[in-house]
This record gives sequence, structure tokens and C-alpha cells, in this order.
Amino acid sequence: MDEDTLTTLKILIIGESGVGKSSLLLRFTDDTFDPEQAATIGVDFKVKTISVDGNKAKLAIWDTAGQERFRTLTPSYYRGAQGVILVYDVTRRETFTKLDNWLNELETYCTRNDLVKMLVGNKIDKENRELDRAEGLKFARKHSMLFIEASAKTRDGVQCAFEELVEKIIQTPGLWQSENHGRGVQLTDEDAGVATCGGYCSLV
Amino acid sequence: MAADSDPESEVFEITDFTTASEWERFVSRVEEVLNDWKLIGNSTGNVPVKKGEYTSGTWGEKSKDINFADFKFLITHYFLKQEAEKDNEKVKQEEDAFPLAMQDLLCMKNDFPPRAHCLVRWYGIREFVVISPGANCEAIISESKCNLLHSSISISLANSGCQVPIFVQVQQKWRRMYTGECQGPSVRTDFEMVHLRKVPSQYNHLSGLLDIFKAKIGYSLSPPPPVNIAIRFTYILQDWQQHSWPQQPPDFDTLLGGEVGGVELGKLPFGACEEPISELHLATTWPHMSEGIVVDNDVYSDLDPLQAPHWSVRVRTAENPQCLLGDLLTEFFKLCCRKESIEEIMGRKLTEDEGKENSDISSALSKLTEPSAAVPIPKLSVSNMMHSARKHIRRHRRVDESPLNTDILNSVLLYLFPDAAMEKSSDNSKNKMPQSNSELDKNSDYNLFLHLKSAPSDSLTYRLALCVCLVNYNHGGLRAVAHLWQEFVLELRYRWENSFLIHGLAGGAPDLRCCLLHQKLQMLNCCIERKRARDESRKTQDGKEKERRVSGGGTQNSSPAPDTSNASASAKELSVGKSWDSWSDSEDEFFECLSDQGEAEAPQAEGEKDGSKSKPEGRLHPHNNMTLLNSSELLYVPITQEPAPMTEDLLEEQSEVLAKLGTSAEGTHLRARMQSACLLSDMESFKAANPGCVLEDFVRWYSPRDYVEEEVVDEKGNKVLKGELSARMKIPGNMWVEAWETARVTPARRQKRLFDDTKEAEKVLHYLAVQKPADLTHHLLPCILHAAILKLKEEELIEDIPSVKKTIQQATSQASKLLHPHSYDYKKLELIVIETVITQARSLKSKFAFSEDEKGEDAGELEKFVSSLLEEPEVVVIGAGQGPAGSIIHRLFVNAQRVGSLKLNFFSSDHYAALLSPLDEDLGPDRKSSGGSKVPDFPPPAGREILLRSCVPRPAPYSKALPQRLFCVLMREEFRLAGAFSSDTSFF
Repeated sequence: MDEDTLTTLKILIIGESGVGKSSLLLRFTDDTFDPEQAATIGVDFKVKTISVDGNKAKLAIWDTAGQERFRTLTPSYYRGAQGVILVYDVTRRETFTKLDNWLNELETYCTRNDLVKMLVGNKIDKENRELDRAEGLKFARKHSMLFIEASAKTRDGVQCAFEELVEKIIQTPGLWQSENHGRGVQLTDEDAGVATCGGYCSLV
Repeated sequence: MAADSDPESEVFEITDFTTASEWERFVSRVEEVLNDWKLIGNSTGNVPVKKGEYTSGTWGEKSKDINFADFKFLITHYFLKQEAEKDNEKVKQEEDAFPLAMQDLLCMKNDFPPRAHCLVRWYGIREFVVISPGANCEAIISESKCNLLHSSISISLANSGCQVPIFVQVQQKWRRMYTGECQGPSVRTDFEMVHLRKVPSQYNHLSGLLDIFKAKIGYSLSPPPPVNIAIRFTYILQDWQQHSWPQQPPDFDTLLGGEVGGVELGKLPFGACEEPISELHLATTWPHMSEGIVVDNDVYSDLDPLQAPHWSVRVRTAENPQCLLGDLLTEFFKLCCRKESIEEIMGRKLTEDEGKENSDISSALSKLTEPSAAVPIPKLSVSNMMHSARKHIRRHRRVDESPLNTDILNSVLLYLFPDAAMEKSSDNSKNKMPQSNSELDKNSDYNLFLHLKSAPSDSLTYRLALCVCLVNYNHGGLRAVAHLWQEFVLELRYRWENSFLIHGLAGGAPDLRCCLLHQKLQMLNCCIERKRARDESRKTQDGKEKERRVSGGGTQNSSPAPDTSNASASAKELSVGKSWDSWSDSEDEFFECLSDQGEAEAPQAEGEKDGSKSKPEGRLHPHNNMTLLNSSELLYVPITQEPAPMTEDLLEEQSEVLAKLGTSAEGTHLRARMQSACLLSDMESFKAANPGCVLEDFVRWYSPRDYVEEEVVDEKGNKVLKGELSARMKIPGNMWVEAWETARVTPARRQKRLFDDTKEAEKVLHYLAVQKPADLTHHLLPCILHAAILKLKEEELIEDIPSVKKTIQQATSQASKLLHPHSYDYKKLELIVIETVITQARSLKSKFAFSEDEKGEDAGELEKFVSSLLEEPEVVVIGAGQGPAGSIIHRLFVNAQRVGSLKLNFFSSDHYAALLSPLDEDLGPDRKSSGGSKVPDFPPPAGREILLRSCVPRPAPYSKALPQRLFCVLMREEFRLAGAFSSDTSFF
């Protein structure tokens, strides 16, 4: 790992089967698109270093399988993630209505509750849209998430989605710094508070 | 330089500093510092101080090093931070105003500040500069040096026009001797000081001090100007005997000895073992008096503390009083630093024995895994089992060798494994415990548990933490902990061996929100559960086979394949429609090893690929009434294997392995292959449940999105639904197709186990066995912190101390940071401090306890008084000696006085009887007449402070009237006069 990397972040991609999670990831990491992307088995993993506001961050991105059956397997990998991308397909309403389940899943298996969530409506290049932007926005707002619409096929919004997410993570205090760092500060504060009277004294 | 080039003409222009003395340089340095700090010029623009602001406001200070030759001095500027107000511009314009310090000399709003720099206390000034010898430098003692230093500041002040007073510290540091000066427009104040060991008898009272003051200001005017007097006497109460500290150190032997030991074990001790409040200081103040009002001379004094109009109290707390919880935690933290392994502590012999045991167990296990030789385990009651476990242990160790007393060990183990006491089979307890646990989780400290990553309170892990902590503290330290741990692991092994579930752990896969140790225990429980299910099914299977052999005789084929398929065919009907959970109890055989069945199964699988139908196996329930594509049979969801439970370290390992495969296409492929075991197993189960099925059928259940249906019009003109696999499933050679092709027809129960409980259990047990006591401490630390915080919260709830509430929150976030590896610094742990504060509050409450007959408002007032004693440096007693708090303080002093005098006279006189009489008799108004005691109510004051102020023209009667002040401190071993005398410099 090169020294100028600020931190390594763990990012998850989750969502129903066939919404284009792996395609989004491939578009982001390799800038390629395969209309016949094989269905993911279990989890897959990609790495990319990006630079946000002059800070280099190494992203370890975990792509998960969307099939119901794999859900006994994949949540084990949620542990320690700082950011999550929830994907739905704007041409299939059921992928949107299942988002609540995915949020529950996150709630249950994530070890930290301050992780940054981003909602991505994928496949906006397609004609047969079933969900408009407003619905996605409303959902994201209700659950305090970032929101963007994207298309892995046309590149629209993909880069932006990942960058926004990383920026937000870096802005969230305590989410990505090594814990030791924070602790040192804490303790010196304590010392200052306890400091005894020095020159100040009472009569007796 | 210029002089060199043209010496004749410009020589007189040169200003020569080359001969400047060290002294001159020092003076200019002082001026420079004053300039830097912008202390030059008129300082009267400041805001008037508010009453008590010296205490409530914040003080700032700046320091710098300066040298006099090679002697180091420290120059420090002290100032009260005040918010400048805009409308002071006008005041600034006023020329010739007195310097601020002079005005402060007479200001009466901040007399006797409870906590301030001594110069503030003596002179009432809000801003000043002090020059004192630097650290490691000797004090300025000789008279000439003192004078030289004083002269330096005089010159600096005059040169710079600074109006802030400057002091120099002279004599030994402990004497706190300062001389100083303040200069204003044609006025000057000299700060002088007298410091003696003994109080001269002629000055041991107000009248003597007034004489000094008058003599010093030297007035000769006929109507003597009024002298303003303020007096404060301080009394110290140290003797708390009659209020012996109520907290008794708990008797640890009985704590564990009795049958109810289990109840006591769950609690952390709390409280101080000694009095946490060491002293009570009562200050009685007479503010603003004029000279004629009070008489205080060598024969008579008006100054009765009871009559003082103003009382205030401060408490001094004992430094680091011994507190039980704090000690317990500190001792526990010390364990973290121990390097010894269990083996080193307990000796080699023991571990050898254990090794032997291990080999016994593994052979026993291998026996169990042979299906033909399944040993039926007799139903033991758990207590029976415990008993044999104990016996088992004792065999290995002579009693006198064991570091932990047998009785204690037994009660600890009974507390940890309470099911041993219940005469029930473990089945019952198993079903109850997890439920009650999950309910407990829901309560308010749920967040705390998440935050610390500990374990649910009442879980085995949590209780173990409490026990290890107590055993470490009370019953033999490191060795005892090692012993307990060894016993604990032994007990777990025993339970694994005999398939008894571990009590007090939530069921299901390890909860990743808990600490690793808790996860490991849960993992072990998972293994035990699966093993039990396996044994159970094997037992019934055996029974059935035996039965069949008896009834069927020789007609049945003895080859395994038809036999099992027959058995499972009957099982099929039973299992259909049954829930997943109950399935494990059904009469089905569970996960037989593949190797046993492989050969028998192979030809059968071949046959199925050709489309020939065989009996379906391992069906769970029909899937949405779908039928298979190639037949009219219903599509069944198969019974599948549950994925392997994982602890976080296993998970970490696995994700590392997956991540290491890299991000290339091959990496992705390999990863998918590694994770396809579960997919393959599901496919095999599906094939077994749905004879004659195709991949499309499987996909319709498993990933419905990948089966695309379209309405097509066939040649007859009918609309027909035509379906096919999605494009991505049709990619040649993709993992799904590949797996489908390799998948054999095998129901879950006969597949290779995805989760090898035997191996995993052994791994967990080994992991536990090799933990050093220090590792164990680290594992349990979150639980202990959790418990300690809960305990503190509980105790605080009784006392209700606002500041503690806040610190508990801080400590909680701090505690969770402590838990990150390699950052242990327990000394900073605030929990211990919190305990001390709570015990202090408790002590004060017991001292200021109000009796029931007292009025409600008094009680409320007292409560407020007690809580502010802890929060504020000094608390005003409302109503002084006559208020409710005042009368209690009075009583405390009276009791202390009487006890003191009794002690003195104990052997010489007949006071023994008096000792027996109640001390707390009512102190009515006629108290002085009762009992005829000559003992005064209050001891002699520990300190007397007398402040004299006046505004008198000096040095001549026609000079300006200027502030004069003398502050006198009279103590047992100190007599100090701090005078500030101003004079008009206009004509002098």
C-alpha cells in the first residue's frame, strides 16, 4: 500500500438479484460493461484507489449475491463496513419495495450504526422505467441516505456515486480514523481537566 | 561600523550599549515582555467585577523565561478573563484615574475567594505580573538581591508606564513571600509583606492588628478616617468518630461459603473502605464592619462563630480512598499484563494429564463418528454429570495443591452452570434460557452492550467475567484465575463430550455483536446442538433398523442403498410440511458421511441423469404450487443444509482468503468456486427432492429473476407462456451450469457436512485451552467494564448526582476506546473516580442526614446543600448557624469537641460514665447550661483572616486620599501581614 493513502474503506453493495450490482462495480473499477454479467455466487471483491478532495482512499468493495438463499451467507461480510450502496432497478418496482428488507438486514448485521448509506437507482438507460426519481428521493430522505440515479451501461452517475459516498465517509468523524488516534486526544483532554491548582490555593 | 569608516566626524552619534550591565539588560527585558503582552498604558478600561466573579470566572495566565545574567526567572501574567463591553469607551477617556489594581484594593465584592491565587486573596487584585526564580533555581534570600530585584521592577514600571502591579517572589518558595509595586499617574502602591512563624501575642487579635494598620498609614488627622473590617474564621473538623464510616468491607468468606453463593456472585462490590471525606472546613465570616462595632482583644472577643452572619463550608476529600470496585478493576487490569501461560502457573503435571484426556476424547469421538458403532449415551441428569466432572477433576489434583479453595470453586461453578443444580434434563433449560436472555437484551442498557461489544448481562460470558474478577481479587489472584479457567474449559469439554448444551447462551449462530469469547461459546453450543441432533437421529435409526431386521428377516436386502432409501422414503412423508426446526428431530438420518454412501449413490445418480425417475427424498414443501417443467410433478423446496455458523475471527480469516485472491477475473472465478459449496449442496438436495428436474426448475426456485417467461403464440394460435433461462445463466461454462452438471442426486442428510461440528468444537476447545490468563482478561474486559458501568449507574441512581451522570457518559465512551487492542491504559479509567465521588456523596449524606420530624423544605434544602458541596469549591450555608445545615454542622463540631475532651481526660478523671451517655442529645437554646460542660462548642479556629481597608491621604495630610489595605492571616504556625499602601507621588 502506498504511504499517501489516507485510509482503507470497506464498502458494501447490496440489493435484489439482477439489479446490476456487479455491473455498477465493474463500471466503477474497470470501466467495462457486460450485458451478460454472470450471477454472483456468495460475495465478490474488488479494490480501487480513488482521490477525494486531495485525499487518497483505498476502497475494498464487497459485491454480494442478491438471491434470497445467499442471504444466510453474505451478511457475515457486512462486518466493519463504513459505507453501503443499496441498489434497485428503476424498471422493476419489486426491487424497490424490497429495500426495506435490505435496510433491516443492515441494521441486524452491521457492527456500526453510523455507516454511510447510499441509494442507487440503476438502469436509467432503459425505456421501461417503473419508478421515477422522486420516489427514490423520498425513500432516501426518509432513511437519511445519499441518493443518485445511475446507469452502469452508459456510465451515468457511477463514478459520482462512489465519490460522494467516500467523501461523506471521510467527513464523518470517527468513522474511518484509526481508533487509537481518537483515544489519544481524549485522554489528554482528561488530563487537562484534572489539573490541580498550581498557583491557586485556598487559605488553609 | 559606520564609525570605523569615518571615525572623526560621527563618533559622537554612536549610542553605546556595550557596557550596559546585566542589571540594565534585565530591566530592559522585563519591559520588553510587558510590551509584548500589551500591558503598557492605562488599564482602567476594564469592566467592573461582579460579586464572586473571582471564583466563578476563569483566570488566564501566560509565562515566559527571562534571565538575569545566567540566573533564570519566570515571569508570569495572571488575569481574570472578562468580556470587554463596548460602552467602556467613555471610561477609557477619563485621564488620571487610579490604576485598576488600586481600585480593586478597596473593592468588597470578592473578599475571601474560595479558590484563587494567594496574591488575589491577599490583595483583591484581578490582574498582576509575578517574577519568580525559575524551576531548579535557588531562592532570592539576601536582602541586597531582593532590593535589586525590587528596584528592577520599579524602573521597568516607570519606564514602560505599565499600570499592572508587578511582584517579585523572594525568600524560600514555600514562604510565599512577595514584594511588589504598582504605579499610576502620580500615585504608587507598595505591596509589602511580613511573614513569621509565631503570632506575636500583642497582635493576636483585632485591636492589635488595627494598631499596626493605623501606625502604618500614619494618619494624624483628628477625625480618624473609618476603617472597614472584614473577618473570616476557619474551623476544621477532622474527627468523624461519632459518624463512623457506614460501609463495612464485605466479608468475602461468607460471600461464597453459603448455599446462596450464586446470588452473591453476580454482584460487584461497591463503596469505600475508609472515610472518603477527610475534613470539613467551616468558614464564618463577618463582612463589612466598622471599627467600633466589634471588640476583639486579648481578654474578650465578640467573635462567636455561631453569631457570624455568614457561613460557608468546604469539604476536603481523602486522596485515593480505597474503594472496592476500583480495587477490583485495578487488580483485574493488572492481570492483562501477566505473561504466564496456564501451564506455567498450574505446573506441567496437570497439562500432561489433560493431554491424556484429550487423546481419550478424540478416540471416543472417532468411535461416535463411525455410524455402525454408535454408542447410546445414557440419559444422565445434569447434576449427576456435574458430580462426576468434579470427581474427575479431583482425581488429578491433590487438594492442598489447588490455588482455589474447593468450596469456592464449587460455588463459582454452580453459579456459572446453574443447570447442574436443577434436577431436569438439559432440554428443558435450554429452551427457557435463550428466551429470557433475549428479553433482557431489550432493556435500556442494550446500547451499552453494543457500544462495548460485551455480552448480554446474565449470559455465561458475563457471569464468567464477574467470577474471574472476584476470584482474582479475593481468592488467590493469578493462580486462582488460572485454576478457574482450567476448570471452566474442562467443564465445557465435558459438556461437548456428553452432548449437554451450555446454559445461558442465546441459541443460534454466534452473535457478532458480542465479544469473541462469547461467540466462541455460542459456536461450541452450535456444535453440541448439531451433535445432539445427529446422535438422536442415529439412535432412532438404529432402533428402526434393528426392528426391521427382526421383522423382515432375510427378505430385506442387506446392501445399504435400498435400505436407506427405503427408510427415508418413509421419512419423507413425515417431513413434508414440517418446519425447518422440527426437522432435525424427525426420524431422518442426518448428514451421513459422503464417503460411506458415495459408491452406492453413484450409479443411482447416473441413472437419474438419463431421466429415469427414482423416489424423491428430502422434500420440505411444494414451491408456490409450481410443477416441474418436464413433468406434472409438483416442484418441491428441498431440505437444505444450514450454512456453517461463524465467529468473527473465522470470518475475518475467510474474508482475508477471499480478498487475497485478488481482483482479476481468475480471482473472481476462484472466489465463486470456493463459495459454490453451498450452491452445490442446495442443487444436490433439489435434485433429490425433485426427480427428473432440470436447471430451469432449480433457477425458478433459487433465482426466479433468471427464468424469463414470455407469452408466445404457438402454431395453433394459442397464447402459451414460454420460459427460458436469462442470458447470464446461459453463458457457456458459467458457474451455475457447471455446478448443476456436477451436482449428484443426494439429499442434504447424506451430503458431506458443510459444517463439521466435531472439528469446529475441537478448534474452539483448543482455542480456549491455550488462552493465557492475560488473554482471558482481555476477552472479558468488555464485560467487566459493562458490569462496572451498570453498577455505577445503579448506585448513582440512588444518590442522584448530576455531575456523575455526565462523567458516566464520558467514561462509557472512553471505556469503549480502551478496548481496542494495544491501547490499554487503565490508570486513566474514570470509573474509579466516579465510584469515589459517589461514596463521597454517600458519606456527606449520612453526615447531613435529617431526621424525619424535620420539615420537608429543610430536607430539600439539605439535599441541595449536600449536592453542591460536591460540585462547588465552597458552599454558602443558608441561615448561617441558625439554618438546618448550620445546626447540623454545629452539632458535628460539638460532638467532636466532647469526644476530644473525653479522650484527654479519660484516665485522669471519672468521665467514663459520660462516654456512655448519648452524645447526640438535643441542642436546644439552653445547651450551654446543660451538662455543665466547660468544653467550648468549637475548637480554636485553624485560621483567622482579618482584612482592614481604608482610604487615607499619604504621605502628607494634603495628599490625595488613596486606598490602603492590610490583610492579616493568623494560623497556628503562620503569621502573615500583606499590606498594600498607596501614596501620592506628586510632591515627593
